Amino acid sequence: MSIHLIKPSNRTTTAPKTLVSRDCGPAGCEVDWLTSKRVEVEDSIEAFTEASVELGWGDGLPLIPPTDARVRTFLSENDRYPDELIARMPDNSECTVEKIVINAVMAGAPAESLELIIAAIEAISEPDFELYGVNATTAPVYPGFIVNGPIRDALRIPYSYGCAGGVSTRANAIGRAIRLIMRNVAGQVAGVTTQTTFGSPGRLGGLILGEWEEKSPWAPLAERRAGLAGNAVTAFSTMGTMNILDTTSSGALAFLEMIGKSVSYAGANCYSPSMEYSEMTIGINPICAEIIAKELATIEDVQEVLWNHAAVPAEWFQKLHRDQLEAQGRVRSDGRVYATPEPKDLVLFVCGGLGGLHALGLHSFGSSLAQTKGIAQAEPAEAQAAE
Amino acid sequence: MALIKVLDPTAKRMDDNASPGPDAGSLTGKRIGFRLDQIWRCWDWISENWADKFREAGAEVSFWRSTNRSGEEGEEQARSLDAWLKSVDIVISGLANCGSCTGWTIRDAVAAANTGVPTVAVATKNFEDFAHELAARGGRSGLRVHVLPYPLNELSREEVDPVAEAYFEGLLTVMGASLTEKEIAA
Repeated sequence: MSIHLIKPSNRTTTAPKTLVSRDCGPAGCEVDWLTSKRVEVEDSIEAFTEASVELGWGDGLPLIPPTDARVRTFLSENDRYPDELIARMPDNSECTVEKIVINAVMAGAPAESLELIIAAIEAISEPDFELYGVNATTAPVYPGFIVNGPIRDALRIPYSYGCAGGVSTRANAIGRAIRLIMRNVAGQVAGVTTQTTFGSPGRLGGLILGEWEEKSPWAPLAERRAGLAGNAVTAFSTMGTMNILDTTSSGALAFLEMIGKSVSYAGANCYSPSMEYSEMTIGINPICAEIIAKELATIEDVQEVLWNHAAVPAEWFQKLHRDQLEAQGRVRSDGRVYATPEPKDLVLFVCGGLGGLHALGLHSFGSSLAQTKGIAQAEPAEAQAAE
Repeated sequence: MALIKVLDPTAKRMDDNASPGPDAGSLTGKRIGFRLDQIWRCWDWISENWADKFREAGAEVSFWRSTNRSGEEGEEQARSLDAWLKSVDIVISGLANCGSCTGWTIRDAVAAANTGVPTVAVATKNFEDFAHELAARGGRSGLRVHVLPYPLNELSREEVDPVAEAYFEGLLTVMGASLTEKEIAA
């Protein structure tokens, strides 16, 4: 049996549709664009947060009440019609701009982040992302997002110190907005639509970080993956964040050996028998990236070296595990099982503080494949009307 | 305290087919399809056991195995499933024994039920409620679900075979199989 290689499919998400005439523009003339049910609650953040838990809308953390006024203000700073269908979620529910904005308001996300959130939702709803499995699984997996382009600074998306969590920035509200959309629209509610055994802190606040392009010796991730220059987001599924410490290595090959061996362990998702393949995302700190680039000419060379170390001997697995891997053709002629089918399936990007010393392992789930989308340029409705 | 109106942030599909779909009826001459996966060996063993019983009752049996759902292989899986569903008269879809595998077991069972063939999803006890929840969210709240004990895959073949024997009659009931005297004798 041969190795199963990862090749993207040609499947795409459902085309957008409109519900009413747009002749009047986003302001809507006499049309009430907002079609969501209105619910009466007491006028306080405490009362609304409590109500949101009872209604199944919230995550238990404080939420901003999504009143008509707040939702309309958020919309007015963008040029999206609220009835625009962005994606159909796994249970065929419709993720419209209106639902996205309501959840973004609740999370306290800035209005300027709408196009980023929309691009993120478009990415995870692509069939190859396999959100259906990501949502339902007993695993702790959740979608993570890597942002490229000037929008990183405009929205204060962290890509240096503490980029995977802990930085004080409203980007955290963007991550949480996406998590609320996952809960309220996409159907990832623990104990109801997801069987996650342990869950993860990332299922609360999300994971959204930038690539430190200015410190990267390689082209930006979105450009390498999809030929997209400028603002773009790459969605990937991750079981959480895994730290790889290396205070001792010297030289590119030694660092990459340490990273490769560390991310490859028997219980890693990449060795699950449920699928024959998976990807793996790895963040490399700027100091390490610079050292690596001095010795290896291209990012493909880096992936190749790393991939050769991201493997374990088949004999490490107990017989029942080994039998399944052998049946799937995953034991190679060198007697090893590789984390991914090919070097290209290691998704590498540069991020992290200048203290170096660590790498960031982000194991994917099942056969969920990372997706990259461009981020549209928002233009406020008022500006359009003035033209 | 003053009251305000807030907008509902949730979205769910609104349509539902609460019918369990047609009964399996007599099994003689029917083509019974087992939907398998590549993770639960206990389901391979149980489906083999049940397949033998169906053959003895005069039915034909075929198997379809779910693998990768993304990329080109995912596209091929979708085509393969569609073709297989057209080749069978009854579908038994399993095994709902984890989160994602319950998801895909139910998704494929809903696809089968939507073609109009008698369909039963098979779940282990721990994932029974989840299977019904996903069926409802898939637009088939009435989907038939046959429940096996849990845990199951952790058991040996010698322990699983008696489970297959003990739960076959229950399967026939959930399927709506109306056995002929010959089938009962078998």
